[in-house]
Amino acid sequence: MSVSTRRLQKELTDIKRDGTPVGIELLSAEDFATWYLSVEVLGNTVYEGEKFALKFRFDNQYPISAPAVQFVVDDHYTAPVHPHVYSNGHICASILGSEWSPVLSVVSVCVTIQSMLASCKKKERPPDNDRYVSHAPENPKKTRWDFHDDK
Amino acid sequence: MATMAAPQRIPTVDDLRVKMCYICREEERYDNPEDPPRAWTHPCSCTLVAHESCLLQWIKAAQQDPAKVDNALKCPQCGATYELESDNPRILRALNAINSVLSAAGKAATVVGVVSLATSFGFTIYVVATSYGAFAVKEFLGEEMYNLLLTDDPNNWPWHAFIHLPIIPFSLVLSRTRLFDTFPIVPLFLTWSSSPPVRVPPSPSGASTSSLSSIWTWPRGTPVPYTPPISWPPTPLMAMILLPFVRTAYRHLFDKLTKYVMGTLPESRGAAGPIRRVIWALNDDGPGPLRVRIGANIQDANAQGAGAGAPAGGQANADANADNRGNEQDENVAAVAERTLRVTTSSLGRFIGGALLIPTISARMGTLLFRLSKHFSWLRAFLAIRDHPAPIPTAIRLYNGPPGSNVGLVKQIGSGLVAGLHIMTGGTPTWNAADPVWWRNAVGLGLFVFAKDCVSLLHLYLTKRELESRRVKSRSFAGVDIRELDLIDRPVHPETTGAGADA
Repeated sequence: MSVSTRRLQKELTDIKRDGTPVGIELLSAEDFATWYLSVEVLGNTVYEGEKFALKFRFDNQYPISAPAVQFVVDDHYTAPVHPHVYSNGHICASILGSEWSPVLSVVSVCVTIQSMLASCKKKERPPDNDRYVSHAPENPKKTRWDFHDDK
Repeated sequence: MATMAAPQRIPTVDDLRVKMCYICREEERYDNPEDPPRAWTHPCSCTLVAHESCLLQWIKAAQQDPAKVDNALKCPQCGATYELESDNPRILRALNAINSVLSAAGKAATVVGVVSLATSFGFTIYVVATSYGAFAVKEFLGEEMYNLLLTDDPNNWPWHAFIHLPIIPFSLVLSRTRLFDTFPIVPLFLTWSSSPPVRVPPSPSGASTSSLSSIWTWPRGTPVPYTPPISWPPTPLMAMILLPFVRTAYRHLFDKLTKYVMGTLPESRGAAGPIRRVIWALNDDGPGPLRVRIGANIQDANAQGAGAGAPAGGQANADANADNRGNEQDENVAAVAERTLRVTTSSLGRFIGGALLIPTISARMGTLLFRLSKHFSWLRAFLAIRDHPAPIPTAIRLYNGPPGSNVGLVKQIGSGLVAGLHIMTGGTPTWNAADPVWWRNAVGLGLFVFAKDCVSLLHLYLTKRELESRRVKSRSFAGVDIRELDLIDRPVHPETTGAGADA
């Protein structure tokens, strides 16, 4: 069993035993390649009443290499309107790129994204949304992000 | 007193009741140690602990990624800097430094190259390439042969020179790619091995003979030599025919040496060859400089990955790693692509610049061999250096033989074949009589390639050893609130113990 599978197995056991933080739910974890989790921002925020789904993709180097994380955009879910979230679901967040560390986990990434949404005051797309979405690779890890340093 | 001594000692990672690696999240209880044991380390100022192997793997992966390199040696929780210890011999640092300089030179070469390309389109490119080709011939064949075959005056050049010379720089560059796996001097030989001299030294008989047909003309009445002479040094044509074999044998032997030195190296040189080699080099690669050298190869691998689509690329990576890398970290395609972008200017310049330097390097090595040969008679014999320069034959006729108008067609073809065989094995009189500068240059280039390969291998080996010898310095839990730690010999009441000591 590979290191990534063992680590994900442990994370899954922890989630099933201890549950997930408020507003975060495990939607599906059928294998150790792709997981789906839902994120809700609770309280009085611009995303009140909205529920989003995050898609996690792991390669066999997880947790040495970061998971590929994006919002699900399909019939049921849309990407939140946020200055760091593109309409195709790609997220510009440093912890998914240069700031990734193996100490992070699926749940902690969800919590970080949840708080990123919670602190948003104004719903707007990134300024380069259309340009990025038309050329974006399927996997957000292939994008070379220029992390906006405004937070 | 014994129970009081324990809490006064600063606990270390070995005093923990349960250790959990913050990277792989595996736990180990003190009363149920793992078999075989894995080293634990507490590298920072907080409560995080990790397997040393996990941490080293993370550090290595992070250092290879330019975006992550700043955080590679930093604890993600407390920000303390990890201290690494390793064998980093002076020679490895020197090789890394040289590599950095070469990378910078490569970058400069790319800039210069792009600028000259941009300013010299069309005809100018042709002129530049042709001049370079002539320069390469001069460097490689030596002044004497150059003056015989080409001369500085383009008016003397045979018609094919205007086709072949401009191709030389491009074929030199192409010969360095995996696409055209030929030895770089082949393009230099291709044209000139059977070429007649363009300028015949002043002599009574040497006039108006520099046409192609004259090579195949036998003066009447002279016998055709039916046994091709085997000469030393080998004729340029022979050398050209034999080179692919020599090269393949050399590659094979050097791969074996590399495998022996590095421990593992994929043996197959099939379609998966380049990719596997790249992955291997990357995984064993040190933090910075060396990766630039393999940048050019990464592009190949990437191109293939891109052509097959992203999933196929990832699959190739996985396959390549599966057999001999085991659990070593893989490079995901994205990370590789990112790095490739960063090194392209440098590696491209080194790649092309290196190719175009080949004739000069050959000439320098040849001169070096020539100087050395003055002290060693066997080297002199091997390089076929003449003690007294022989007079260059004034006629350009290759072999004397009788195909006149009065002999049959079959005989003409027959003598033609014999003549061809002669050129291959015995060379032309011009080439035979001239000082074989090309031979010592070729031998010199071979030695240079060998030396360069050896240095590269040494660099790779030292880098690998440096990585293998890495240790993360483990610290004690000084500064950490001991009550937060789950220690084996836990002080029952730390406060009362202190009070007891006072009393």
